[in-house]
Amino acid sequence: MRLEKCWFCSSTVYPGHGIQFVRNDAKIFRFCRSKCHKNFKMKRNPRKVKWTKAYRRLHGKDMTQDSTFEFERKRNRPERYDRNLTESTLKAIKTIDKVRFRREETHHKNRMKGKAAKERREAKKEHDQQLHMVKAPGAKESTATLAKVKVNVQHESADNRMEE
Amino acid sequence: MAASTFSKCFRGHSLMGGLTTFSSSIQRLSQQTTSNNFLSQQIRTFIQMRTNLKVVDNSGAKRVMCIQALKGKKGARLGDTIIASVKEAQPGGKVKKGQVVYGVVVRAAMQKGRCDGSEVKFDDNAVVLVNKQGEPIGTRVFGPVPHELRKKKHVKILSLAQHIA
Repeated sequence: MRLEKCWFCSSTVYPGHGIQFVRNDAKIFRFCRSKCHKNFKMKRNPRKVKWTKAYRRLHGKDMTQDSTFEFERKRNRPERYDRNLTESTLKAIKTIDKVRFRREETHHKNRMKGKAAKERREAKKEHDQQLHMVKAPGAKESTATLAKVKVNVQHESADNRMEE
Repeated sequence: MAASTFSKCFRGHSLMGGLTTFSSSIQRLSQQTTSNNFLSQQIRTFIQMRTNLKVVDNSGAKRVMCIQALKGKKGARLGDTIIASVKEAQPGGKVKKGQVVYGVVVRAAMQKGRCDGSEVKFDDNAVVLVNKQGEPIGTRVFGPVPHELRKKKHVKILSLAQHIA
């Protein structure tokens, strides 16, 4: 049993899944699902389609160089079965997975460093420069300032009486 | 020898769309157009009556037309045997134009389910000519063939093939 990689999105193709296309020069294109197959038929380049692994690797979104990737390799010669070796391999898989997960998290954290500050800076800039978008130009002054003007009603009434 | 090189050229030509080893330019032009149509408009259906198939061995035939699928109501699929009539043949081959031959479909553009549930499909519809007993007429097979032929008892074709997909 061999787990192949999808030609388009580089995800794992489990046995019994997907479709494979054999070109006349005997190059085999394996696809994990019809989505990838359709994208291939549309002649899309996986390096330009944002959701593929190829794009993410190319644009530094994912961790690319790491020693944990060295373990996963295509071997064309079948290994001779050894119970002890298999046991230790199974144990190692878990540890390696854990290490890789941790490193990926670190990579993501490093990549996202300064994002919050940047966003705040941009928001501040927008607030400073684009305030007229928030406040309409012909809007009246707020009523709060108007309310502060005191009108002396007593005095006015006295004047009226004088005229009479 | 000449026959084998010729058919080899034909195969390479259909792959790359450009080959300049043919002496006759008219022949080349006609081949180019047919091969271009072949690549762009290969219909992905069953191999049925009047389906044109490429012959990928050195039997001497170049193009055959299916006249009967020996299995299946709708038509033949990858690995099935068909009866075909030779439409184009090269001079000096074992097979002449107009002859009725048996053939095994070794490549089909229509996808076929594999035993594990996945599917496989090829670039074109291609056939290898066999006799009534199922032994190949030619001595070479060009291009990839599926390993399902083993199940259909065409081990000879598999052993002659360049690539097994």
